Formats: sequence, C-alpha cells, structure tokens
Amino acid sequence: MTDSAVASTERSVQVKLVLLGEAAVGKSSVVLRFVSDEFQANKEPTIGAAFLTQKCRLDDHVLRYEIWDTAGQERFHSLAPMYYRNAQAAVVVYDITKAASLQKAKSWVKELQRQANPKIVIALAGNKVDLVQPSTSSPDANASSEDDGEADDATATPGETPSPEGEPETPRQVPREEAQAYATEAGLLFFETSAKTGENIVELFTEIAKKIPVEEILSKATSNRSGAAGSRAGGARQDNVNLEDNGAKSKDACNC
Amino acid sequence: MISTSLRHFREPTKDEQTQLFFSIPSSTLTDSKLHDIEKVDINSVLTLGDGEEEPYAGKLYIMPPYLSFASLDRKSVRFTIPLATIRRVERLNARAGIYALSISTWHGLRFVVQLTSLRPTADAFCAVLRDALKVELQRGQMKAVKAFVKTCYSEALVPSSSNVADNEREDGSLIITEEKGGDQMQERSYHGGLGLKFKFPGDPKKLREASKIKLWTTYLRAHGRNLTLLRYPQCTRLVQVGLPNRLRGEIWETLSGSVFLRFSNPGYYDRLLEENKGKTSTSTEDIEKDLHRSLPEYAGYQSDEGISALRRVLQAYSFKNPELGYCQAMNILAAAILIYMSEEQTFWLLELLCDKLLPGYYAPSMHGTLLDQRVFESLVARCLPMIHDYFESVDVQLSVASLPWFLSLYINSMPMVFAFRIVDCFFCMGPKVLFQIGLAILKINGEKLLQVQDDGGFLNVMREYFATLDQSAHPNSSDPRSRAITRFQELLLISFREFSVITDEMIINERKRFRNEIIHNIESFSKRASVRNLKSLGRFTKEHVGLIYDALYKAMCIVPPPPAVAPPPSLFTTNDGHEEKPETRIELRTFRYFLSEIATWARDEKIVLNGLTRRIDREVAEHEFIDRLFYFWDTSCRGALSFQDLVFGLDGVMFNDLMDNIEWFFNLHDKDKDGNLTKDEVLTLSESLLFIFRFEIGDAYLGAVSRFMSNAFEYGDALLPQSEDGSPVEIGSNQPYLNLATFRMVVLADEILEAFFETDLVASFRLQPLPELELPVANTGLLSDIWSTIATDSNKKIFNMFTDEIGKTIGKHQVIHRPSIGRITTLQEPKARESLLTPSMRSSASKSSIQSDSSSPTKSATDRSSPLVATPSSSTLSIDMAALTLKDVAVPEETGGIPPMQMVHAVNAALMERTPFAIDDAKEDEDSDEDTDEDVDDDDEVMDEVDAFLEAHDSGLTEEDKKVANDLLNAEPVK
Repeated sequence: MTDSAVASTERSVQVKLVLLGEAAVGKSSVVLRFVSDEFQANKEPTIGAAFLTQKCRLDDHVLRYEIWDTAGQERFHSLAPMYYRNAQAAVVVYDITKAASLQKAKSWVKELQRQANPKIVIALAGNKVDLVQPSTSSPDANASSEDDGEADDATATPGETPSPEGEPETPRQVPREEAQAYATEAGLLFFETSAKTGENIVELFTEIAKKIPVEEILSKATSNRSGAAGSRAGGARQDNVNLEDNGAKSKDACNC
Repeated sequence: MISTSLRHFREPTKDEQTQLFFSIPSSTLTDSKLHDIEKVDINSVLTLGDGEEEPYAGKLYIMPPYLSFASLDRKSVRFTIPLATIRRVERLNARAGIYALSISTWHGLRFVVQLTSLRPTADAFCAVLRDALKVELQRGQMKAVKAFVKTCYSEALVPSSSNVADNEREDGSLIITEEKGGDQMQERSYHGGLGLKFKFPGDPKKLREASKIKLWTTYLRAHGRNLTLLRYPQCTRLVQVGLPNRLRGEIWETLSGSVFLRFSNPGYYDRLLEENKGKTSTSTEDIEKDLHRSLPEYAGYQSDEGISALRRVLQAYSFKNPELGYCQAMNILAAAILIYMSEEQTFWLLELLCDKLLPGYYAPSMHGTLLDQRVFESLVARCLPMIHDYFESVDVQLSVASLPWFLSLYINSMPMVFAFRIVDCFFCMGPKVLFQIGLAILKINGEKLLQVQDDGGFLNVMREYFATLDQSAHPNSSDPRSRAITRFQELLLISFREFSVITDEMIINERKRFRNEIIHNIESFSKRASVRNLKSLGRFTKEHVGLIYDALYKAMCIVPPPPAVAPPPSLFTTNDGHEEKPETRIELRTFRYFLSEIATWARDEKIVLNGLTRRIDREVAEHEFIDRLFYFWDTSCRGALSFQDLVFGLDGVMFNDLMDNIEWFFNLHDKDKDGNLTKDEVLTLSESLLFIFRFEIGDAYLGAVSRFMSNAFEYGDALLPQSEDGSPVEIGSNQPYLNLATFRMVVLADEILEAFFETDLVASFRLQPLPELELPVANTGLLSDIWSTIATDSNKKIFNMFTDEIGKTIGKHQVIHRPSIGRITTLQEPKARESLLTPSMRSSASKSSIQSDSSSPTKSATDRSSPLVATPSSSTLSIDMAALTLKDVAVPEETGGIPPMQMVHAVNAALMERTPFAIDDAKEDEDSDEDTDEDVDDDDEVMDEVDAFLEAHDSGLTEEDKKVANDLLNAEPVK
C-alpha cells in the first residue's frame, strides 16, 4: 500500500518530508488523507516513525514525497533528529482545539530552524477544523461517506456521526489570526486543515512542493546518480494536485 | 523537563547478574527469616529421575526462596524452582566419596544432584537447603503451590500425574487430599488469553498445533511444568519450532520467569487496580489514545472485552511504575501478550519486560532503546562490516528500521505469526535473540541493502522482506525439500547458527561500553532543548545560558528536586488550553547548591594545606541572604524556581552598572516593595553585606559596613519629618524609613561599598565551565573494579582526613578561607580611594565575569589574593589555586591515580581485540536437506526444522562420570 516503484515521469524529484507535532493532533491522519485519501480510525500504530510515499505533480516535474510520520509521545522526542535530518520539508501539526499543541508546535519549529537542514521548508498545519465548523451540507462529497468509523483525530466525537448543524462541540482555542501571524513571523507556510474532510490537505502538500528548490535538488541528484530522473512522458495518473477536486481522482494517485 | 535519573545508574552486582540469569525476582520479601539465609552454590551433577536425559555437570544454587541449576555451558540445562515446590530431599546411600541428594518436586518429578565439591562444602550446602526449606514451610508457601498450579494450562494438559507428589509428604506439611473431582473443576481454572475466545492468529493446521501439543505434553510429563519445569535441550528445540498457541502464554511465563512474580504476589494485580480506581494521569490519557491502535486487526481488539483488558493492564503498570508510566510500543506488547495470557499474567510479564528484559527501553528518556541501538550498530559493524560501511557511505541510519524491531519485539514489523515465534525464542533464550535476528535480517538482505540510496530505500527493502517471510527461501531449487524451507525458517537458521557468537555476556559488555556515551548524548540533547525552549535568554549568550544550565544540572544531581508536576489547575485555566506542561523546578535546598556554583560568596571555600597535598574544600553556604535571593527570583511565587527563573534572576544582576546594582540590592531587601526600607530591613541589608564580606581580609569591609549603618541611620533620622519641637518623629522598626535615593547616597559615601556595587558584586557571579560530571565508572574489568572501590567519596574523605592528620603532626596543616571578593589582599588599611579602581578595571570587570573563559577573573582574583597566602609554601600556590577551582570536584591529581575514563578506554581496547568474528564469510545454508514434509501426523518431523541449527549440547561429563551419575538413580536413600 505504500511504495511506488513505478518508472518516473519526465523529471522526478525525491523530497524527504517529516511530520512533527504533539500526540493525537492528527499527524498520521493528515498523511493518510494525503497518501491514500482515506480517513481511518484505527491505524497501524506509529512506533518511532511510519514511512510512506506519495507523488505530487507540478507543472513540469513530479515530486516524490518520502513522508516520515513521527510518533508524537513526548518521550520519542529525542528520536526525532533521526527522522528530520536531511529532510527538505516539514509539516508541523497542531490541533486548533488545543492551545497547548500550538506551543509544542512552536517549539518544534524552533528546533527545526536550529537543528535541521537550514533550507528546510516548514509548514504549520492547524488540524481538525472540522470540529469547529458547523457541518453545513458537506462540501466534500467524498468525505462524509468515508468517515463513519470513529474519528481518531476527531476525538471529541468518537464513534459518532458528525454533530448536528451549527453546534461545534469543541471550542476553537487557537484563533486563525494568531497562528497566521506566528507563521508569517517565523516564515512558515500556514494552513488550517481537516484530515477528516480533506480540507486543505492537498493544498498543504502542493504549496510545500512549490517552495522546494527543485532545480537545486535535481542538479545534485543527477550528478550523484544518473537513473533517478528517467524520462517517460505522460504521467497522466499523477494529477492529484489538482486544487479543485481532491476527491475521486487522487485515489489511484499513489498507493501502488 | 530536566532529569538526572540517568546519573543514578548502577551496574548490577555479580549476585544480581546471577539472579537475572535465573529469572529470580528481586527480593521484595518482608520475611526477614528468608533474608537471613545465605546464598550458596556448589558444583554438582544433575541426573533426571527416569534416566532419559543425560547427566549434566553444572552448578547448583540456593537463592532463597529458589533452587537453581545451570549446566557448565549455562544453556543446555537449567532450572529455577521455588523451594516451596520441593516435596522431599533425601541423601543417597552411594559409593564412598560420593555425596548425592535425591530431590522430588510437587509434580512427582525426581532428580538426583551429586554434589562434587569437598565434603564440608556439601554439608554446609545441605544445611542451608534444610533451613531454607523450613522457612518456606513456615511461611505457608508449600500450601500456596497447590492452588497456584491450578491456574496453569499445563495442569489440564498433563492431568492427575501429580498423585505421586500428593501422596508423599514433606515432614510436617499438611496436604489435604481432595484431588478427586478436582479434575473437572480444572477445566476453567487455568488462566488464558483472548485467543481462547477470539481465536489465535494463524491456521492451527498449518502451525501443526496438535503435534506440538503432543510433544509438549510428553516433555512436560517427564521434565516438570510451570513452577517446576526443568529445561533440557529438547525444551529449547520445542520453543524454536514455535510454541503451540494454547500453551504459549504459560511457556512464556515460565521461561521468562514472570511466573515467579505472579506466584509470589498473589492478588497484587487486582488490589492495584482497585486502589487506583478512577485515577487519571498523563499516562492514562496517553493509554486511551493508543487503545484502538494496538493490533486493531485482531478480532479481540475490535471488542470491548479486549480493549478493556488492554486498558486495565496498561493502567495497572503505569500505577505500579509511575516514573515510567506508559510508553508507546508497550501497547503493542501488551496487546500481543494478552492474546495468550490472562490480564494478571500479562501484567507480570510486562513488569519483567520493562524492568529486566528490556531495561530502560520505555523509560522517559528511552535510554535503554538508544543504548541497544548503539550496541546493535556496533555488532553490525563487527559482524557485517560491508553493510555497515556501505550504510555509512550513503548516510543510511540503521535505527530507522531497527528501532521498532527492538522496541516492539518485531511484533510491529512482521506478520504476527512470525513475530510471535521470535518472541518465543526471546523469552527462552534472552535478549540476545533480538540482536541475532536483526543481524540475520540484514545478512539475508545484504545484496539488496548494498544498493539502497537512503533511509527510505532501506525501509522499503525491509518491508518487502517482511511481507514475504512465508515464501520459499529457495524457490528455484530442484530439491523439493529445499524449496519447502520458508524465508522465516531461513531467518531463524541464520540467526541461531551463524550468529550464535552473540552471547548475553557480549551484549552486557557492549552496553557497558556505550552507556556513558549514550548518557552524555541524552544529557546534551536535553540541555540543548532546555536552552532552546527558554522564553528568553535575557542578555546572555547561548553559551552562558549553557553554563547556567550546567550549574543547575549539577545542583540537581546533588540535591534532586521533587518530581516535576503540572501546576495545580485553577478555575480559570481548566479549559482555555493554556495549561502548562510539567516543568522542572528546584527548591531552596537545590538552589543553594546552584548558587554556590556561580556566586563566590555562596560557598565557603577553605584552602587546606597539610604539607602533603593541597585542596580546596568547598561547602555550600547557608544564609538568609541566599534564601532572600531565592524568593526574590521566584516571581511567580511557586516556592520553586524554573530554569527560566534562574536565567532571569541572573540576568537581573549580572549586567548591572553601579546604579543598577544599588537599586537591585535595595529592592532585594525591600520586602513590601514600597520603595522604602524599614529600620529592620536596613539591619538585614547590613547583615547581608557582612555575609558577603565574611571572608575578606582585614577590617576594611567590616569598617565599611559599620560606617554604612551609622550613616544610614544618621541620614534616615535626618530625613524623618520633624515634629513640633524639632525632634524627629519616633517610628517603629518596621515602618518606611530609608528610600532609594538616601540609600544610594549612603552607599556612594563609602569607597569600599562603591567599589563593591560598581564591579565586585557583578564579578562575584561567575559563569565558568564546570568540570565534567563523573559518570559511574563502567566495571569492565578487574582494574576498574579496584578503582571504583578506591574512588568513592567517603574514601576520598578518609584520605583527606589522613593527610590532614599527618599535616598537623608535622606542623604544616593550614586552613585558609578563600575570600569571595578578594579585592583587599593584605592586612593594610585601604589607601586613598582614587587608587582603588583603575579605569580599565571599571569597564572590564562586569564583562569578564561572564566570560566562559574562566581563567581571567579567577586568576586576577587569585593574583590579588596572593599575599594572603604568604606562607612558607606560597610562591607557587596562587597559580595552583586557580587551577584547582576547576578541578575541585574531581579527585585532586596528587591523590587520584589513573583517571577512570582512561582506564575504561584501555580495558575497552583490550575487549575489542578479544573476539574474532568470522561470520561474513559463512556460507549459505548448504544443509537444506531438512525435512519439512507436509505430513502433519508425524509429530517428530516438526522438530526437523530445528535440528540443523542445534549445536551439540555438551554435558561436560566423561562417559565414566555419566555412568556414576546414572547409577545414582538406583541408589537407596540413607536411612
């Protein structure tokens, strides 16, 4: 369900991306939504870090994400450098219904900025927006059909269908503006996301992809190993970075 | 969070290592009688009663309340049985010169031990055995056995064969015989796991469950079971072919020794849960998050029953060991074990895993995990150098794959049926199995691994391999039997045959080798994190803050702070999400040590000269002034200071100029912060000054303080409002009296005080690199053993006392207090004030005090103080003092001998040369003639799988010895 050993398209770049954040903010769910467009309640547990891959197609090249989804429990913190070293991108996730998780996210950002690859592209993701939005007629048809299993990341309503209209059960604790201001100040990409509905997930990874210094990596990679950037036209399947519909098409994008 | 717990690590003693080997629980016994009985061991030859097994030479141990045996090779034959299961011990009437005992256990098993040591040793051994048995009988443990064994599945498997034992009576023991009818009851009295209800993973037919059960039944009948199991080579073979599901839990419990924990703590698990009912903690919250992520594909964990059991077991463990609490991966382990074991059994096995088998793996720092990853890496470097070197060249980290292997005993990495077979071997053969399997995995995949380009590629190779473990290892072989060997079988073969060089001793030694490195890494990581997580560094650089951290850390090692707790919830912070994380905060006692590392006046330093050695004895000063500073810095009024508080506190004084300092000192003593000192506070302030100046030479400072007091009261009185008759109004001693402006004026009127506030106060705070804290010395050899016995603190004290005495006798003993300021260095009156401060000193002093290069302030201080030590031996002393300040926690050079670390390195170097490995050139398994025929009915064929990788078991006896031993089986007891 993971690796895509398919021949690469015209220009393919491999990008190492690491997910960090407090326990239970929904890191694994964000990845799962991006990689297989699923929202699952019970996933394989993350010990150390889970490793997944997904492709992301931009205008003139394909980006192959190697995603390291790290364990969130505090005591695994000292293992994190093992996973974020050499990473070209990082997604730091917090839970908009838990202010403390933003604090933790800030400390991760600080650590990354000081200890990780100096050119690392960092995105801040405030997850679980679905919990504070009155569930209007579901904006994403695909979402509601899939998440009848209990919400591991939407922990407020375990085993329930989305709460009735208008009354978010969990109050938002991190105002969007506050997080946005912080992100701007720290030079981060910023999105509020929902792994449950899929909101902004693909956008998140696409924006990161756009900021990756692809040319630099390509020149490095080609000098190192020749076979990496094969040429095969018509990678028609990898169009999941289509901003309009992240639903149906992305299914076959990557879980080969 | 700052933790010093790693500092308290202690290598196990020899006794503890033996106990660990025999899975004997650490004694928590309250029964002092048992404590009085010494531990003894004796050379002996073990012969099993029915003569089926060969006699084995080895050693017999009494470690109350257990009797243990291990053959000479420490692996062929061994047992640990509670003394309470021994029903009869008889001295055998044998040939002259032979001293033999016949021992019968609860399960009717009889074995003979021939004590081959000298007669008096054997007599002494028997006496201890007799005493120990008596104590056990009095404790009522003999009776407990009967009820306990009924909880074991093997009793149902091998029914009613214990009649023999029941009929024989230990003298005085009361055995109530009500065995009849009990057989039916036993049906449900044994403990079992979720598998009994939700099915066990794997296809029972494919797993040849029936054959395995039959083989085990035979083995257990002849060799005892549960509490009385004797482990002969066949036992290990049976484990290596995979345990039958229904028996798996019990055998895990028996082989690991967790059964002894359960046996000696009846009812503990239930009580623990009962006593902690409804309690919540960070651990219980973390547990909740993971309950549904623990082997979710197993049917039992899709039911409430399974989830509840998992919750209870994990919570119970976190209650038992709150310091460890809960670590992700424990959920996987517990979930896996619960399939085969009852909650209570699982609880004790988890305890054993966390405490003994995987030490430090799940601790908050996870130091055990990091350590074993380092050990594994070093083993890969030695056994598979090509892979190791290649990984280094492409910057691939072994741990990205191997960390979860170790942390979850492979359960999270490969299909469960295979992982459980590794777990079988792990409990039977010990932690080395994890390393052996890991090495074999890498070796088998060597070719592919030599092509990976990065961590991701490495993981993909591993993932692919684990997904195909059930496939043929030699799909293209022409030999059908060779084709039938699965990749998993191949893995076990290579693990245990080619990597049999990996022994428990080697693992233990490697851990010793790398422990300090790991501790150092963890500590510097948490130091960096602590510094990084400060809200503000103040005006300090990162290096300075690092030095403050070092001082704090050292103080915490000496006076550990109370456990970090989250602040008590207040009404307003319950749900706004601003709840704070638990944070390390130090109390006053620790603060005093901290400050003594930084402020010169916060310590009493005595320079001791005794003609033989010179040293500086440092003691932590105690004074109201230091306490005052503590509360002054405790801005959030918690009664405890965080790292941040300390940084802010020091920032508040170390960058001050003259005026700032005067104000700072004033505020420090203005308790109600109304901008005025009371008369009492003026007195306290004077006392503070006297405290700081207590070791200065001569009367100058005393004079300055006394002038300060008279001036302060003179000006204070003068400024009081005049009453009608022109005399000052009388005010109480606790009313506002002296304001800052007046205080400033009074201070500036005195040259000594001015100099003090101008530069000396700031300069008395010194951020200097501390000497490396000594880590516990790894006992890697005899030499370091001796070293560690010499180098204890108390011995140093004794040595110092001894040399002091000599010094006194020869009239060279001197004790000099080192001044805190050290400005005045001779016993002369101060000169005119102009000469006291040169412009350059004014500007440099406050900066130099925070230089991490320690030499300049210290040296200048000592230079100035050199006339002070104008004693017979003074000419070189002042320089040495400067050097000594950096070393005074370490052993003074003259007394120390060889530095411990150097010795450790030497021993390690010797260790490295010791074991040659010749694994890389080992051939692919050419003996692929193993029979893996599909004929299920032939029980013996189950065993063929392992025959190939079993080494010959050496009984350590000659044929003649064996005959003697076997003859003993027919010997009559001594009447």
